[in-house]
Parts: sequence; C-alpha cells; structure tokens
Amino acid sequence: MLRLTGLAVRYGDREILRGIDIEVAAGELLAVLGANGSGKSTLLRAAAGLDPVSRGSITVADRQRRTMDIALVFQKIHLVGRRSALDNVCAGALGRLPLRRSLTPALFPRDVREEAMACLDRVGLANRAHDRAGRLSGGQQQRVAIARALCQRAPVVLADEPVSALDPAAAEQVLALLAELAHGEGLAVLAVLHQPDLARRHADRIVGLRDGAVVLEGDPRQPVDGLYADREPEAVR
Amino acid sequence: MSVLEAPRAPVPPKPRNPRTVLAGWVAGAVVVAVHVIAWRATDISIADLVDGWQGMADFLAEAVPPDLSPGLLRESAEASLVTLWIGLLGTTLSVPLSLMLALLAARGTSPAGWIYQITRGLLSFLRAVPDVVFALIFVTAVGLGPFPGVLALVTHNVGVMGKLWAETLEDADPGPATALRSAGAGRIQVAAHALLPSVMPQMVGLLLYRFDVNVRSSLVLGLVGAGGIGFLINQSIQLFQFDQMLTHILVVLVLIIAVDRLSAVVRRRLAPAGAS
Repeated sequence: MLRLTGLAVRYGDREILRGIDIEVAAGELLAVLGANGSGKSTLLRAAAGLDPVSRGSITVADRQRRTMDIALVFQKIHLVGRRSALDNVCAGALGRLPLRRSLTPALFPRDVREEAMACLDRVGLANRAHDRAGRLSGGQQQRVAIARALCQRAPVVLADEPVSALDPAAAEQVLALLAELAHGEGLAVLAVLHQPDLARRHADRIVGLRDGAVVLEGDPRQPVDGLYADREPEAVR
Repeated sequence: MSVLEAPRAPVPPKPRNPRTVLAGWVAGAVVVAVHVIAWRATDISIADLVDGWQGMADFLAEAVPPDLSPGLLRESAEASLVTLWIGLLGTTLSVPLSLMLALLAARGTSPAGWIYQITRGLLSFLRAVPDVVFALIFVTAVGLGPFPGVLALVTHNVGVMGKLWAETLEDADPGPATALRSAGAGRIQVAAHALLPSVMPQMVGLLLYRFDVNVRSSLVLGLVGAGGIGFLINQSIQLFQFDQMLTHILVVLVLIIAVDRLSAVVRRRLAPAGAS
C-alpha cells in the first residue's frame, strides 16, 4: 500500500536519510525503531509530506502520494483542547468538505458527524463524544487523535512516537488499537516507536534505522540491541 | 545526615563573554541617554511644580465639595451611559473587520507575503492616528454627538485589535494547525478549526481589555464634541463650575471601576479553560 523508494532527506550538508526503501502492506502494522537521531521522525515527516525529500519517491496504492492518502497521529497529539472530542474527530474530514459546510462545527453535515461518532466508537470513546478534548486523559486524547485519522478515510496511517507521552497501560492500549485497525480495517500503519518491547508485542514487522539507513528488517522478535549500541549517552539534564 | 554534613561542591565562576558584558553596558548607557534627552525635551521642572502648588490647591478648593444635586447626578448618569454605549459599540462593531485583518496579518494564516505586509501597514496606520483625530474628522462628516465618537473608536480599534489578534494567532500552538493541514484542510478551515478555537480565550480577553480602554477613550472624545460625559466635563470646566466637574468625574470613576471589574470577572472565567 505505502511504498518508499530510495527516499533521501538532506538538511544543508547533512544527509539525514540515505536512500530508504520501505513497504507497508494493507492490513499491516510496521514499527520503525532506532536511537535518537537515527532519522525515524524525519522518515515519517518526509513520508507525510511535511518535510521535503531530496530524492526518492512515495507512492500509495501504486500512485503518487496525495495529502488525503495519509493520516497522521502525532506524539504531542495536537487536538484542539477547547473543542469536543467529536468536533476534533470531524476535523479529520475537512479535506473533503466544501468550505461552506465546514466553517464551524455546527455546519458539518450530519453524515460527517455520524461517521465521526462511529470512529469514536471504534476507539472506545463514544461515551466521551461531547467532552472537551483537553479534559480527557493522555491515552484518551491519543485515541481521539486516532479516531480523527480514521475519519480522514486515508488508507495509510503514520504514527510518530504515538505512545511516548503515555503511561505503560495507555501505551499498550493505543498500540493494540493501532494493530487492531491495521488488521481489522485493512489500513497500512507505520508507527515510529521507542519501545522495542511494544513493537515485539504488537507489530507485524519491524524496520531498524541507524544513521539514516535501514540496518534491520523483519520479525519483530529479533534482537534490536545493535540499533542502540555504541551510541554516546545523552547528557543528563 | 545533618545539613552541616551534607556534601558540598565548589561553584565554578559563571563564564562571562566580554562582548555580552560590553553590550549590556552600552544598552544601559543608551537607555540613560534617551531618558536625559526626553527629560530636557519635555521641560520637566520640579521647581515649577513646587512653585505652582497654590494654583492646584485653589482649583481643588473650588471643586470640593462636589455638587450632588439630584438633577445634576441624573444628567451625569445619563451622559455616562452614553459614554458606555459609545465604548461598547466602538468595540463590538470593530470585531468583524479586526478579525478579517488579523487573519491577513498573521504569518500562519496570511495567504501571501505582500498581503501580510500591506495589512500590517494598514493596521499601523489605523493605530498611529489617534482616535481623537478620527473623531474630529467624523464630526465634520456627520456632525456633533455620539455617532462620530463610535465611528472614531471603531476605526482606531480595528488597528489595535487587528494587530493584537494577529500576534495572538502567531503565538498559537502550531500543533493542531499542522495536524489539520496534514489532513488536507485549507487555510481558512485551519484558522476556523485549529487556530481560532485555541486562542479564543486570549482573543476575548483582549477584546474586553479594549472595551475597558474604549470606555475611557470615549470620555476624551466627548471633549471634542462626541457627546457623553466628556462633553459635560468640558462644559463645566469652560463655565468654571468645578464642583459640577468633580461630580461628573466621580460618576465616571464609578463607571470605569464597574467596567474594569466586569471585564476582570469575565476574563478570569475564561482563563482556566482546558488544554490548548
């Protein structure tokens, strides 16, 4: 479904990604692992079109990537805290709505609101639809963000460290949900993760990045210590 | 372990960059020099103030006690209400244009660099022209009374609110906007669904602050013929009825305190709302 071919990203003189080839099939959860600075987040931002690529191609279902093809789930969640969970989920549909039907949440067509409600139900938060997003817990907010991504109707979901800010129980729940969506809805899900154990439990496949290149790929149960070995420890702050 | 026995380590001297230190001294010298120039240019003289205290005392003696006759109090209260209405309409009628210009003058929402520059220039112009000058211009167009006062406040307030709101929009958390943009939302949709709801409490707070300022400004506009209590204050000064002037000022004081309290209460209610 999602295919990255020879993807390279350069910031000035530094090559952050050096010809990455990755494919994520429909119905698959692929976890991308790597130490800080290995290029994981850059890979995801480039694939989503948020950062320019210096060479390579990104295709979704064998055609050039379009904005609506890829839904994003962010580490910092990025909901509008003052709006309800339902309004936040409806916002996922903005790309396919005409301006006159989307200037305020009150103008959203009924079918969009019903679809958003179904997405909230899918992530187990139908009962919190009218609560302000800012009042939900971190795990619940991330589930709302996933529902927003679902409401976008994109065949590909990219998740940038979606559980970094969550406690272990919430992290487990969110990863299980992403895996369930991949398997149940046939979505291609690529998740950048910092926790190899979560990848081992939930991902169908892993890709390991080091210094901007793919250095391992395949079974999520394989050892990944090599990705983190011989790195200078970060200064204690 | 007692406090005295707690391990200690020598604190190394804070590294100082000689250029930073020099820059600090130069900045301090510039600030002092500018104040000396300003002091001389404005003819500030403590001696003149001390010598002239008798004039102030005579003025105040004629104003005290204030004239608290029911007729004057009623007239003063009615004029104060007109001042309040001028301030209110001067604020609320400026909202649509302020919002439109703020969106064009904020980096994240402006459609093009040249539109941003032109809008910023227009807002600067509207702010640079004092509301009193606008009032004099509008008096020549529509005559004396509260109407030119409202027009003057609306015009000036668009400049101030447009700039303040544009800067609030620029300071908004870019996260939700990035999320919606990546979902295919257009510029106006991003503003309507990510930026504006995120900064709405700050924008309403600024609007209330401007209402507070505009009520006080409408008082001054009364002095140049825009009606309200300012007009009565001006009249009583010209007729040397300082006791009546003091009455009007006391009524204004009550009005200003009431508006200030009201806007403070509303702002406080808006402040603790949930995240982002």
